[in-house]
Amino acid sequence: MAFPMAVERWLDVARMDELARQGTPVHRIDARAQTVTTLLFIGVVMSFARDELSALMPFFIYPVALMSAGRIPAASLLRKLAVAMPFAVAVGLLNPVFDTRPALALGPLHVSSGWLSFLSIMLRCLLTVSAALLLVACTGMQRLCEGLVRLGVPRVFAVQLLFLYRYLFLLADEGRRMTRGIELRSPGVRGVRFRVYVSLIGHLLLRAMARAERIYHAMQARGFDGRIRLQFTSPLRLADPLFVGGWTLFFAVARVWNLAEALGALLMKGVG
Amino acid sequence: MPSVIEIKDASYVYPDGTQALHAVSLCVEAGEAVALVGANGAGKSTLLLHMNGTLLATQGEVRVAGVEVSRLTLSHARRTVGMVFQDPDDQLFMPTVEEDVAFGPRHAGMAQDDVERRTHEALARVGMSHLRMRPPYRLSAGEKRAVAIATVLAMAPGVLVMDEPSSNLDPRGRRRLIAQLRSFEHARVIATHDLELVVEVCTRVIVLDGGRVVAQGPVRELLNDEARMLAHGLERPHILRHQHPH
Amino acid sequence: MHMADALVSPVVGGTMWLAACGLIGHSVRRIEASAKDHLVPLMGVLGAFVFTAQMINFTIPGTGSSGHLGGGLLLAALLGPHAALLVIASVLTVQALFFADGGLLALGCNIVNLGFFPAYVAYPWVYRVIVRGRYEAMRGSVAALAASVLGLQLGALSVVLQTQASGIAELPFGAFAALMLPIHLAIGVVEGCVTAAVVAFVARARPEVLPVADAEPVRSLRPVLAALLIAAALTGGLLSGWASSLPDGLEWAIARLSGTEEVSALRGTWHARLSAVQERTAVMPDYAFRQTPLSARPDGSDGASAESTTARADAPSALPLGTSVAGVVGGAVTLLVISWLGFVFRKWPRAV
Repeated sequence: MAFPMAVERWLDVARMDELARQGTPVHRIDARAQTVTTLLFIGVVMSFARDELSALMPFFIYPVALMSAGRIPAASLLRKLAVAMPFAVAVGLLNPVFDTRPALALGPLHVSSGWLSFLSIMLRCLLTVSAALLLVACTGMQRLCEGLVRLGVPRVFAVQLLFLYRYLFLLADEGRRMTRGIELRSPGVRGVRFRVYVSLIGHLLLRAMARAERIYHAMQARGFDGRIRLQFTSPLRLADPLFVGGWTLFFAVARVWNLAEALGALLMKGVG
Repeated sequence: MPSVIEIKDASYVYPDGTQALHAVSLCVEAGEAVALVGANGAGKSTLLLHMNGTLLATQGEVRVAGVEVSRLTLSHARRTVGMVFQDPDDQLFMPTVEEDVAFGPRHAGMAQDDVERRTHEALARVGMSHLRMRPPYRLSAGEKRAVAIATVLAMAPGVLVMDEPSSNLDPRGRRRLIAQLRSFEHARVIATHDLELVVEVCTRVIVLDGGRVVAQGPVRELLNDEARMLAHGLERPHILRHQHPH
Repeated sequence: MHMADALVSPVVGGTMWLAACGLIGHSVRRIEASAKDHLVPLMGVLGAFVFTAQMINFTIPGTGSSGHLGGGLLLAALLGPHAALLVIASVLTVQALFFADGGLLALGCNIVNLGFFPAYVAYPWVYRVIVRGRYEAMRGSVAALAASVLGLQLGALSVVLQTQASGIAELPFGAFAALMLPIHLAIGVVEGCVTAAVVAFVARARPEVLPVADAEPVRSLRPVLAALLIAAALTGGLLSGWASSLPDGLEWAIARLSGTEEVSALRGTWHARLSAVQERTAVMPDYAFRQTPLSARPDGSDGASAESTTARADAPSALPLGTSVAGVVGGAVTLLVISWLGFVFRKWPRAV
């Protein structure tokens, strides 16, 4: 059964939640500001030509800055990145196969444009995935959903996200206990047979539905009438528009001018 | 003054045809603590769900503070009767403890100031103010139980109805719960298998068996009747063996 | 089958985001109109259930591989299409945020691929057409299997189209489709069997929770319109992908005919006209790193040109060595500076 890796994943989710409850300056930035900046960042990074490399480098400052100022350990991010990369790697690896035209010469070394675009895909993957992970690690699910509602996301959807998140751990735990029960009773057997699997999933589903019914009763008992009221108190502070504005300015500059190449040329001029 | 809860000949049949209650009658007076005991499947939980209108009796009637519970009076019943469910995870569904305690007052349409005041008071009452910002799934079983009680206290009910409040608690959590239950001025209906808790908290016991009330009376008198307790799948609590009631 | 951020262009990603927002808005309105309060906790818990179920695998006999529950069609069968779409969207959002499955830019694509097709196409047009009225074991199983397969096939096709329209991955359309569709046919059959078996299990244990499909399935035009809209969006994405490759090919052609000076002049006008998103080249005149990759641009437009072979041969030598080295050196130094800044940042909040 594929649970060992999954267990690690759950621990990671719990850890993300802990990270999100720190009180660093980054964590005090409004969730709306962080969401907008993250989306902008991803959009700008993905808007580069597909074989762009050097111009992408300055963009690493965004995740690195959040990670450092928000005290998010790099190790846990890298572990997640390793899990997230395979599909992009698999599809991207075909680029060098299908596109062998030489594109870049470094002295005697010729690099094909396929390899350039493959490397570029990997860079983007690193940038966008880390930005998304950092968004949660710096806001947390509750503040993020609050921010989403205030950005215009339907309340029903935000509530759905919160409920899903609330019962994730509980159901994962139930699933883990049930799979462990099966494993203990079938020593030496690798994996679950279809029939056992269906009954396992079926019972898990019935239990989930029974739980949903009990939750509904508990909600009704406290006056639930179909509409969840959420209270938003955090006001925007001056730092929030500054955060969005500052990064937007940087993204714009780094998008229009290739800062890394300019730096390189400057250095080489200095050396030569 | 009417009884806070008055049930007369209430019967309930589940949609699948199982009859869970047979003409149950009982009264709960203001301020008293009543225990509801009986073996698994005796109908305790079903009976509790009638007290705030989650289930409506198929026959007979249920009155809360003198008002008959029906589809039209549900909100009255739910404001008057605070229900603490068996699994706190079913009751704590909001992202933080504070949000969860505020859920009831907020859905009663109170102003933000009142919501905050009630939330703070309720959390302070169960000694959980320090957990305000924590997500419920990170709490211990005892903390979850205390917060679940706070969510109900915040609605200022007249009656507290609890289903197995001491299940899953460690000895310290259980002691704390018993002390709290004794301190409440509300009428209390406690469905439980924990007979020692009954002895310490309640004054009256109602015994259910097969969906029927088979006995009711003062705690010590009834629980000391070993033959009768065993006949209904229960036992005489140890705590009473070491005391000399006469 | 999660679409990844790194393979989606902003145009395609943005279009799919719009489509996904429309779908979520539509389903939210329908759920609110239905006034079924109990859906609120039920949808949340079932979202958590799908999450958990997807982590448990079973072994497929004789293959050594394993399968698991897909979720989309099962949710539709239990909750109806609107709530199912919302649950799938929420599961995908949490996956993108916490597990980096897919990604935020690709989230719209994933909601369309894994939510729209099972809930708004396969469920009403296959599942409900076969299961008329009350659930019945034989017909129900056939329906679940057929609808799962169809839903997944459409989703896989959509992945191929989105990747193609984005133009970041180099895979030719035919090859990619020939790879994706058969794989997802197999996955669809496995997931379909699981879905059929689980629905049958629920129908035996608690028949009352399965919604009774209307005797005459409601064939609202809305989902069809939504499908048309998405098809249009995809086509639009494809077209814009093709269009955005034009300037490069054009520039390349002009560069072959004339000197490079005019190219940069022309590039200026292109940039004046194209939005920042469409912008593909840096405009700093001194650092001409972009010029050569441009002439060797692998888009269809120059590949179709008869002169492309000479262009390929010429490409490396046309590149001024200095500027490409500037790019590499600059990139490396930038990364070094950023990592150093990272350490500085890390110290800073503690000092405050």
